[in-house]
This record gives sequence, structure tokens and C-alpha cells, in this order.
Amino acid sequence: MHRTLSEEDAAFQQRMRDFFTTEVPQDIRDRWRAGGEVEAQDVRVTQRILNAAGLAVPSWPREFGGQDWTNLQLHIYLQEMQSASVPPPLAFNVNMVGPVIAAFASRELKERFLSPTANLDIWWAQGFSEPEAGSDLASLRTSAVLEGDEWVVNGQKTWTTLGQHADWIFALVRTDPDAPKKQMGISFLLIDMATPGVTVRPIQLIDRGHEVNEIFFDNVRVPVDQLVGEVNKGWDYAKFLLGNERVSVAPVGSIKRKLADAKGFARSVATDDGTLLDDVHIATRFAELEAQVMALELTALRVAAGSKDGKPDPASSILKLRGSQLQQDVLELVVDLAGPSGLLWDAGDTRDGTDGSGREAWTGKAAPTYLNFRKASIYGGSNEVQRQIISSGILGLRG
Amino acid sequence: MDFTIDSEQRALRDAAADLAERHAPDYGSGDVTVGPAEHDAGLWAALAGLGGLGLPFPEAAGGFGASPVEVSLVAGELGRAGIRSAYGEALVAASLLVDADQTDLVGAVADGAALVIPALAEPGRAWSLAASTVAAEGSGTGPDAWTLTGIKEPVQFAAAASHIVVPAQAPDGLAVLLVSGPKVTANGRVELAGAAATLLIGPDTAASALARAVNLGIVALAGEAVGAMDTAMTMTVDYLKTRKQFGVPLMTFQTLTQRAADMYVSLELARSSAQFAAMAITDDPDDSASISRAKVVIGQSGRHIGQEAIQLHGGIGMTAEYAVGHLMTRLTAIEHTFGDTRQHLAALAAHVGDHESVDVLA
Repeated sequence: MHRTLSEEDAAFQQRMRDFFTTEVPQDIRDRWRAGGEVEAQDVRVTQRILNAAGLAVPSWPREFGGQDWTNLQLHIYLQEMQSASVPPPLAFNVNMVGPVIAAFASRELKERFLSPTANLDIWWAQGFSEPEAGSDLASLRTSAVLEGDEWVVNGQKTWTTLGQHADWIFALVRTDPDAPKKQMGISFLLIDMATPGVTVRPIQLIDRGHEVNEIFFDNVRVPVDQLVGEVNKGWDYAKFLLGNERVSVAPVGSIKRKLADAKGFARSVATDDGTLLDDVHIATRFAELEAQVMALELTALRVAAGSKDGKPDPASSILKLRGSQLQQDVLELVVDLAGPSGLLWDAGDTRDGTDGSGREAWTGKAAPTYLNFRKASIYGGSNEVQRQIISSGILGLRG
Repeated sequence: MDFTIDSEQRALRDAAADLAERHAPDYGSGDVTVGPAEHDAGLWAALAGLGGLGLPFPEAAGGFGASPVEVSLVAGELGRAGIRSAYGEALVAASLLVDADQTDLVGAVADGAALVIPALAEPGRAWSLAASTVAAEGSGTGPDAWTLTGIKEPVQFAAAASHIVVPAQAPDGLAVLLVSGPKVTANGRVELAGAAATLLIGPDTAASALARAVNLGIVALAGEAVGAMDTAMTMTVDYLKTRKQFGVPLMTFQTLTQRAADMYVSLELARSSAQFAAMAITDDPDDSASISRAKVVIGQSGRHIGQEAIQLHGGIGMTAEYAVGHLMTRLTAIEHTFGDTRQHLAALAAHVGDHESVDVLA
């Protein structure tokens, strides 16, 4: 048991830090750091820079561009990326569909899709949730019926994040409505969004942004060879995917970046006798959050070291649960720091040139960002679902 | 960064677990002291026999040349068995003795012949390492010719102590002194009315030596607390599985299992923090900020798990014939020993503007 990094890991850390802070354009990182709606082009440009350097898909199998890194190195990679405000490789590509194709798809599908998926030549969307299938995902009803050498898809997906940019969608569809268990009749289908019968409708959220969508499938014809793995085994692949998603949604580095930025925000707000960072109540909230984030990061490191055979430790549910809570706590602190300056949104920087008075840009983003991230405890398996996984899967409490 | 333990550490932990099992209070008998811990001479001799009391100190200083990581492992097993002892206190005192080159006394502490306890608290005052009402005066004829005047209270385990170490205000500032055979009245009140004392550490280094010593004590308490939380968690889960109401096991009710899951999250965060605290001061004994952060997490987790363990048990959790309530008693005491959550947060908050973010990887 020791704290220090080995010479090799320290050198790795420096290499990552140098790469992310020099190879990814500053203007892209500045926009990502400020937050708000995602610029698709920034994500594309960044992922291609990373991919060219072998840094887009480190967790994939080596033959498809992965790296033989230790879990600690993977943690350092993510930490340095997030610390430098580098837009991360698109999760739908690198954490979700890529690993599923690599693990379960035919050789033909691997050769067709993995390279463009790593390079974000294909932007993937996730077609899982439906209006009647949220936490109870296995109740999904979107159907796929085999006609000749095509699956004919009908139904609706929802909460499709960034679906407005997507070229393709990986969807869970019901291929056997008569299966004895609802989990047993589901398949994993790859669908070109340009196929006739696919319609995308935006959902506006309370932060005024357009991030999620509804996707409608009306007699969409999908070539039979675009089904991943075996028919009716889609639920197994989805569970594999969600396990990966959980590990990837403990954004410790992003939380730390935001908390560090928040100190600057607190310094910029004047009070009757100093700045908000001098306020005991605010300073104590920072101290408490730093302690709690430290505990989360340490747990992420400890759990990563405990994962076996590439399978996530069941304790990874802790990371999703606590990571989303702390992410929300930090954004709650930021909206409190903005206070009355945050009442009107997205004003930009209103400081004028003469006396510098005015509102800084972050104050206008504070409230919508705070509201937007209420999503974090809902997506990727809500926190109530995570507690269920912990209580039944780890503690053996089965009602 | 590596959280795994080597074979020697595993052997030590297993030996500590055996020892703890032999000396564990039989809570179910109802024949266990209720409330604050009392000194158990049998346990103490066994701990000395294990090598636990001198573990982290260099052999040249009278110790056994291991590290705070080993302390944390031993303390964890004590906590798991529900043993309440002066382990953390004794390590704080020994750390000060080591800094003062009291090699013979460190040796006596390590083999259990001497029990040296730090007298830190002053009556009616919030936790502070800076003594304010106890005064030290030297006659000028040498380190052994000092006297102490004032009250330290409460000093847990003082009644059993052969010596106490006392932070006090010397003419030039904070100093640490040693008193042999302290006068202790009821309920841990140490009255120093011109008591003869030996100067251990003068004002130049007393504050930093005290901070280092308390860092080590907190590592021991944090390890112990995680052991106690682990047992409270296990007992609660077992109870939810076996206790029936309305004809079904309690685990049928999601309102209970969701709360058990939150306890587990608190436990794992506390475990990471306790282990990190041990690693942090093995690396840098003066890293008080890491220790304060760990103490905050341990304090909050201990409170959460203690309260919920009792609540999820119901009435049985309140009785003196059941371990869970005793574990919460101990967790509450640990939270208020060597600085409580408020004090550690205040210490951290005072420096929150000095760094951009907290790096655990060093």
C-alpha cells in the first residue's frame, strides 16, 4: 500500500498532461470548460486528434486500437483529459457500441464499423429508452420483424442524447414478442439514421437547451447483417454495455475541474467585506466538497484495481451514485455563487471596458447548467436503480 | 498509488484479527461497560505482544520499524471486533516521545510496561492543539526541572496511565511536557497543581510535532472506525435478511434496502479515505490536510452508518445487549477525538484558496 506513482506512471501522467494541453486547440478546450450546449464539431475534431495519437479508444481490444494500460493509467488518462477540459471521445461510440461490436459482433461488422467509430466518422446515438420503458428497460416495445433479408422496425425511442448529430443508432428492439421472459426476446440492431422512415424530434429541456430527442421508426428496413451477435441475445449485450457506462460516469476529473473553477468564481463575487471565497460558509462548502471528491476519486482508483477479467466490479455502482451526487453538489455551489447574477441566463460577459463592472459569463450559465445536471442521477441507470444493484447484487438483500 | 497489501502485512492483519477475536467484548451477554471505553490490561498486553504499540516507529527509536499502514490494519481489526481501547491515544503519545528521543520510554511503551496517554482537552474549550489554560514553567536548571499548572479534562484512559504528555504554554510558547504518575480525579480530570514535569519538545517544534502525532492517531482511529462501520453494516444486512415482520423478511421493503445501499456507499468511501490517510502520512508525516479530509469523511460516514444501523434494526439496536449501539457509541467518540468534523473543516476552509484542486496522486 503506497501513495506515490511509479516512475513509469509519473512519466505517463506527464505525457498525457503534455498531450492534452498542447495538442487539443485552446479554443475548443475553453468552450468545453465554459459548459453549455455541446458543439458537435469540437467533439469531432478532438476525437480525431486523439484517435490519430492512439488515445481515443484505450479500453478497446488492442487489435482495434486499444492500449494495454493498467487501470491506474486509464484513470490518469481520464483525469488529465478532464482536467485540461478536453471534450472526451463520444461515449456512445467508445464506451457503448464500440466495445459491444468488438466483443460480440461478426468479423464483417467489426471491420466495417470499429475504425470509423473510433474516428467519429460515424456519430452513434443510443436507442434504448422508450416512453414506456425507462428504468424498466426490458419492457421495451419497438419491434423488428424479419421480412426476407431485412428487419422491419417500428416504434419509438426517447431521451436520445445528441441524436440530432447522429449518423447511426444502436437500438434494442423486440424480435421475439412471445419469449417466455421479456429479457429473452430482445436484439441489438445497428440502424443508419438516413434510412427512410426514421424521424428525429427534439425535446426541449428546462435549461432551454436541445440535448435529447425522440426517434420514431416507421417501417424502417434494416439489412439482416446489421444485427449484432445472435438474435434475441440483445439483453446480454445491453447489460455488458451498461456495466461499462457506469464505470465511465464517475467523472472525477470534470468534477475537480469545475470545483477548481468555482474557486475563481467565488473570488470574483464581491461581498460587503471581501469576496465569497472569504465567506466562512462558502469556504467550508469548498473544503467539504474537496474531502468528499477525494474519497470518490480514491474509491474509483481502488475499485478500478479490483475489476477482474474486464468486468466492472459491482462496486462501480458506488461511483455512478456518488459521482452524480457530487457533480450535482458542485453545480449547486456554482449556482449559489452566482446568486442574483444568475437570475438572467446566458448574458455572456457584460463587463464594460471602463470600470470593469458587469457580470462574468459563468454567472449566466450557472442556473441552466445546475438544472441540466439534474439528469446525472437519472441517466445511466437512475440512482435508485444503482441502490437496487448495490443492495441485491452486493449486499444480497433480495425482496 | 497502490491499495493492495503485501504478505507480511496480511500476516499482521490476520494475527490482529485473531487477537481481536480473543479479546472482543461479549456484547450479547449484556455484561459489557456501557458508554466510554475503559482500559483493558489483558488486551493491552496482547497488543504489546503483537508488536502493535511500537509499530510505526524506527527501531533505533525503540519501535518496530513498520509504518502507519500497519497501524491502520491492526486498528481496523480492533474496530471490527468492537474493541474500544487507547490505541490511538497511545500512538499519539509515543510519536511525541519518539520526537523527543525518549528511547527508553518508547521501548517501555512498545512492550506494554508503560501506558503513556496524551492530555489534550481542556475543560469547556473546543478542540485545539494549542494549549491555552495550562502553563509550564522551567526552573532553568534543566529539562527535568519543570512544573505544570492547570487542568486537562477530560483525558480518556488517564486513570490507567503511567505517564501523560501535556501540551502547555511555556514562557516562549507552546511546549510538550511529560508527567509521571499523573493525579487523575473522577471522570478523567487531570489536575496539575505545580506538577513536576520533563520538557519533551520546546516551542520551536512543539506545534509541528503535535500535528504529526495527531495525524498518526487519526490514522489509527480512522482504521478502527472503518472496522466498526464494517461490523455495523454486516449486522444490519444480516438483520434485514433474517428479521421478519408482517410475515416477510425486512429486506422485502425497498425503503430499507435503499438505505442499506447508501450505508454501503458511505462505508466504501470511508474505507478508501482511511487507507489513503495511512499511505499519505507514510509518505509525508506532516500532511495534515490529507488527514483532515480523511477525518471529515470518516466522521460523516461514521455518523451516517451508526445512525442508520440503529434505525434499520429498530429497538434492538438501542439495547446494551446488542453490539450495534455500542459501535455507534464508539463511532461518535471517534468523531470527537483528535479534532471533530467542524474543526477539521474549519482548518481546511482556512486554506481552501491556497490550491487549485486536491491531488491524491503524488
